[in-house]
Amino acid sequence: MSRFHRIVTHGILIIVCILMLTPIYWVLKTSVTGDNLFVYPPSIIPDDPNLFFYVEAWYTVDFVRLFFNSFAIATLVVIANLFLNAMAGYALTKQFPAKGLVLTFLLMSMMIPFHATIIPAYLLTADLGLLNSKLGIALPTLSHIVCILLFKSNFEAVPNSLIQAARIDGLSEWRILTRIMMPLSKPAVATNIILSFIWSWNDFLWPLIVVRSQEQQTLPLGLVSFLASFEDTTGSLYAFCVLVVVPSMLVFLLAQKDFIRGLTSGATKG
Amino acid sequence: MATVEFRKLVKRYGTHQVVHGIDLAINDGEFLVLVGPSGCGKSTSLRMLAGLEDISGGEILIGDKVVNEVEPRNRDIAMVFQDYALYPHMSVYENMAFSLHYRDTPKQEIRTRVMEAAEILGLQDLLDRRPKQLSGGQRQRVAMGRAIVRKPQVFLFDEPLSNLDAKLRGSMRLEIKKLHRKLGVTTVYVTHDQIEAMTLADRVVVMNSGNIDQVGTPEDVYHSPQTIFVAGFIGSPTMNLLPAKRNGSATIVVGEKSDFHVQLPAKSASNTDAFVFGIRPEDIAIASGDPEDGRVHVDGVVDVVEALGPDTLVFADVGGHQVTARVRPDVKPDIGQPVRLSLDVSRAHFFESESGKVVS
Repeated sequence: MSRFHRIVTHGILIIVCILMLTPIYWVLKTSVTGDNLFVYPPSIIPDDPNLFFYVEAWYTVDFVRLFFNSFAIATLVVIANLFLNAMAGYALTKQFPAKGLVLTFLLMSMMIPFHATIIPAYLLTADLGLLNSKLGIALPTLSHIVCILLFKSNFEAVPNSLIQAARIDGLSEWRILTRIMMPLSKPAVATNIILSFIWSWNDFLWPLIVVRSQEQQTLPLGLVSFLASFEDTTGSLYAFCVLVVVPSMLVFLLAQKDFIRGLTSGATKG
Repeated sequence: MATVEFRKLVKRYGTHQVVHGIDLAINDGEFLVLVGPSGCGKSTSLRMLAGLEDISGGEILIGDKVVNEVEPRNRDIAMVFQDYALYPHMSVYENMAFSLHYRDTPKQEIRTRVMEAAEILGLQDLLDRRPKQLSGGQRQRVAMGRAIVRKPQVFLFDEPLSNLDAKLRGSMRLEIKKLHRKLGVTTVYVTHDQIEAMTLADRVVVMNSGNIDQVGTPEDVYHSPQTIFVAGFIGSPTMNLLPAKRNGSATIVVGEKSDFHVQLPAKSASNTDAFVFGIRPEDIAIASGDPEDGRVHVDGVVDVVEALGPDTLVFADVGGHQVTARVRPDVKPDIGQPVRLSLDVSRAHFFESESGKVVS
């Protein structure tokens, strides 16, 4: 690549980065200044930044409870997703009767929007007596088909001889999965953790339907309550948003390298 | 250590049968090599012995016990794979100790066994490394170490040297041979490389299309091949095989254009008329003077000459058939020139064309 092309490419990438980061910067800036978004001329540099709005957001709603609820549910979802998806993905690497049918069924299920399944999901959850509980909130997201297929493709890339060696070494199928397949599929594990955590953390519609009491509310529901509490909430609202987003960003940053490898693994191996 | 026995062993994939009811008895402490071309069923037979493939018919015995339904982990075997199958996320030590952890072996015992194996294989300095930090030969040694620590009844090797370069293959061959002599464990080794088969084996099993063509010592299969397939497969360069037909009760005429007459073996009871005449390249020389007793001269034209160093291979066209002679290194006939070859027919082999079996 010539020097000119490199400069042009980097220039375009810098512009795209600025466009992508501007809203995030704006949220951060507003959360420490409380400035209205619609002022002219817009102020780029924060004037007298302070943490007042964070304190206000923290105390206006019971942030610790909301955070704990969201975190407990997300943890449950992540653990369940890891094991259920890995087990299903491993099973799908084996040959069994009607395997094609099962895969077709799974792919077809992915095409059904979640909103279309809300009523049966609600009735099922109610029948199980799990309405207004953390398990009830987590239930529909305990496994994601896209993550099952991700595990399947990663497991298929593990040489068959390793599985056979493990079998001769005395490992059961469960131990082959946990001691051989999963450690060798770190990208898939990271992708599962990130996706299931973020999906659970940001989930709004399903918790809104199954949660009846304030004690079980999650952060997205708390955000709505927060909006309803004040008239002018610009600074506090943005501070609240930052507090909500930080955990999922941390999870993403921690597993970012493996996450990207996980998403691109199908492009380079079988 | 234990004996191993195949009784009418069959393997089918759907309707396609790849192993056709083979019988084989492997002695206690023996080094047995299954050799044959790709797709002959040798690896499948080994994998059935390991428990990695279901058995479609027949029985496999390890010791006195039928193991058809026994899980691989309970067969008391250890296997070395073609691609080594080392766990990439574990160190050399962990790789070698891994199986013992799942067999309730005390930690001290595990350490002792791993250190013993590491010493035998010269791996002491590599125990903390990961497989990707090792060379091909080192990985191969770790794979063997992993098998040794188990102290199994039977070692299984599935083409373990095929990923190594020629030089390393030679030295690893030697190490495997020494290891077997030291441990004395019953070993079944699969390869398509006849040199490995000949140098390592106590007995060689030559497989062809899911059947056993011949079982014998390396000398047996080389000097007394029982079928045309074995004659053509064992030896490099391969045995010269020429068509022949009966000419009287005790002689055959070999070739179609540059014919020569050869006596059939005295005890031959064959009634067939079509034969295949086989002679090893080392039993052919460049003729000088009149033929001696037991030799036949035949004329040809030199096609190719390959100087190998210790000897020279002369490829000649004899009546439309290529004949290879292994001659002294100083003999270098000119390409395209006529050559008179001297065949030691007392060392020739005769096979029935139709059945492919040796004339006896």
